Amino acid sequence: MEIELIEIQQFLAQHPPFSELPEAVLATLPARLQVSYLRRGHVLDDEGGRFHLVRSGALELCQGEDQVCEQLAEGGLHATDCTLPYPEQNYRVRAIEDTLLYSGDCQLLYHLGQAHPEFGRHFTASLRERLQRALSQRQDQGHALLSDQPVGELIRRPAVCLETGTDVQHAARRMTEAGVSSLLITRDGDLAGILTDRDLRQRCLAEGLPHSTPVEQVMTPNPHRIAADTPLSEALLDMTRLGVHHLPVVRDGRLLGLFTATDVVLNQGGNAALLASSIAKAQSLDELVESSRRIPALHRQLFHGGATAAQIGETLSHMSDAITVRLLQLAEQALGPAPIPYAWLAGGSQGRHEQSSHSDQDNALLLDDSYDSERHGAYFERLARYVSDGLDACGFVYCPGDAMATNPEWRQPLQTWLGYYRRWIDTPEPKALMLASIFFDLRPVYGERALFEQMQEQVLETAAKSQLFLAHMVANGLSHRPPLGFFRQFVLVHDGQHDATLDLKHNGIVPIVDIARSLALAARIPAVNTRKRLQAAARHGLLSREMADNLQDALELIASLRIQHQARQIERGEAPDNFLDPATLSSLERDHLKDAFRVIQTEQEVLARRYNANALA
Amino acid sequence: MTWLDRFRSHQSRRRRALRGLGPGPMRDFLAAEPPGPDTPVAQVPLVALDLETTGLDPARDQIVSLGLVELRNGRIELASAWHQLVRIEGALPPESVAIHGITDDRLDRGRPLDDILPRLLQRLRGRVMLEHFRAVEQDFLDAACRRRFGAPFLIPTVDTLRLGQRILMRRNPTIGVNELRLFNLRSRFNLPRYQAHNALMDALATAELFLALLSEISPRNTARLRDILAR
Repeated sequence: MEIELIEIQQFLAQHPPFSELPEAVLATLPARLQVSYLRRGHVLDDEGGRFHLVRSGALELCQGEDQVCEQLAEGGLHATDCTLPYPEQNYRVRAIEDTLLYSGDCQLLYHLGQAHPEFGRHFTASLRERLQRALSQRQDQGHALLSDQPVGELIRRPAVCLETGTDVQHAARRMTEAGVSSLLITRDGDLAGILTDRDLRQRCLAEGLPHSTPVEQVMTPNPHRIAADTPLSEALLDMTRLGVHHLPVVRDGRLLGLFTATDVVLNQGGNAALLASSIAKAQSLDELVESSRRIPALHRQLFHGGATAAQIGETLSHMSDAITVRLLQLAEQALGPAPIPYAWLAGGSQGRHEQSSHSDQDNALLLDDSYDSERHGAYFERLARYVSDGLDACGFVYCPGDAMATNPEWRQPLQTWLGYYRRWIDTPEPKALMLASIFFDLRPVYGERALFEQMQEQVLETAAKSQLFLAHMVANGLSHRPPLGFFRQFVLVHDGQHDATLDLKHNGIVPIVDIARSLALAARIPAVNTRKRLQAAARHGLLSREMADNLQDALELIASLRIQHQARQIERGEAPDNFLDPATLSSLERDHLKDAFRVIQTEQEVLARRYNANALA
Repeated sequence: MTWLDRFRSHQSRRRRALRGLGPGPMRDFLAAEPPGPDTPVAQVPLVALDLETTGLDPARDQIVSLGLVELRNGRIELASAWHQLVRIEGALPPESVAIHGITDDRLDRGRPLDDILPRLLQRLRGRVMLEHFRAVEQDFLDAACRRRFGAPFLIPTVDTLRLGQRILMRRNPTIGVNELRLFNLRSRFNLPRYQAHNALMDALATAELFLALLSEISPRNTARLRDILAR
């Protein structure tokens, strides 16, 4: 090649998959290319068997039975003819701007792919593989501080057990020998209770009971137990909610050991665990506010530790849950115990376990049907006010749409709630659909879980039967579409006027969350977490396993870009937002985003057709 | 003068020049029949050429480098790209260093123009030359051929500056000279900005501009050579 064509070589070096090639190989490429020009509006018409790289301008490529279109901007590669093993027949390429193309023979791509596997993978890899690779590249070596590691793996030693009937002196001796602060008490090998240092002190010594007292008299009977595959984050939450430091762990009904707060600290370097524990111990709102100030630092550490967006979202939600639980406990201390059963429900991103660094609060109060506004109204109003104000003080600002338990509309007994849902489902009006992300993503955080389950069961039953409602949900989801043409816009805005930004939340995350919700409601899936909904929907056959995986990966990719974007803003001292300047993305990241958007678009089209929702959108 | 007259005059000048010219590259060049004026442009073998010179006067200034690239069937063949530095006689005038970024030291690595001319004539033989502002290339090569072979440099030419002018005048008759510069015309047609400036990149830039202009003049690609030849 003439060295003077180095400018073309440099262009190739900037754009995948050519960017995967070593410089010596890149230097040989320009001489293998032809340059051509396609006028705006003209359709590309060549003899086939060739690839085309957009040097300037933009192409629109429509392919497949659905004629799903995407736009290729500068650096975009159209190699449909070269795709192995069967080239797509049904496609059309049109210039949507005056376009200069670098073109070459498919043979060149094949040869490069054989000699350079990284290059070849770009063509042979399915969308599925490309997304996975994009994710593993993002997550490099890091690991989460507060992981979804199962608690069964964190137990440091087998449980120390004693049968009932043993006296407390034996028990104390056994604890000293084993160097433990708690014992599991079994009856015929089955878990009967738990005995701790504190029990011996408070219930035995302080009461002056004799040494011969049998352990079952001072133990805590029937302790809350957790399964060995419970994620650490969930176990922590249980500890917070129950106010205990020990949890027996069972696997297949067999007692495995005792999970303690110390296990968490030792295994996790303490960060999230310590924060959770300081939240649980807070004696006043001030102490709680003080603890919650450490959440941004936790967020940063998780991000730098290489945690996935899913893990970060889950950890932050657990922190919000812990704060909510503690606020409710403090409120009950201040106001006295609740006069009737209730459940505190979290909605939106907290409900879905997908919270980000600057989420607002979405919550509701579900009251037992024995509710009497005369007698109980004031209590729950004050309870809601206490918690909502507390959350705001802790950084979870009031919901701008007033979807909070402080709003009397969202502080109602079960029958009223069921009436709401019936109305939303029977006559899906815009307001109801707007509230869907809150009220169809509710999860009980504190109080009577059974009350919530009763409500959810009926809601899922009714929703799944209403095709009209489901169609409206799908149609509503279509109002947020992935901006596949966005990168062209970006390229076309010349000379520093890049005021166009990408809204990662509404153009990327919300569409996936909406898809998952629609599928969950169609299949009566109780889960609210987007990933769990997608997995369950795949099990119900509402979408392919591969599409479920692709959507989860797309969500992870977009959410992790958002976290990265927000972490940078925080480091610069700016307020975090969802608006990404695409100029800050590498060309590789742009390609990954495009893959993610393509996945969303495909599933949106499938759903729109299934429910004939385009007519409603 | 109609295009036919021009064509005939070009033919007769070529025949006249051939008389008394001995065998060699110049004779081969002039003897080759160029594509006729009715040839569809898509079938015309075109060569985009750019020269860099020490100044604008062919009698006094010298060629310092040349670059060319061929077009076939509406595509620029990068495999055909050729860039050649020319060794000049005497020192390089300082002002041209500023324009081209070419130093005496680099020119030392070039070859004398007389050695290069035969290869250049062979690359242009039987083809149509494509330039942006034809006078420079035409005049310098004519002077070189007369010096070296005692014969004129005759080749049908397409000038992107004139084609660009034709298109812009249709939209706005008071078009400024500045807007006809290669760089400005290119940005009008959404062509990329090249950082490097050397004879080859300028030849490529001219070839790309030609493709853009041609699609404007003849969207369905029905033009014939006579529609675009320089007068």
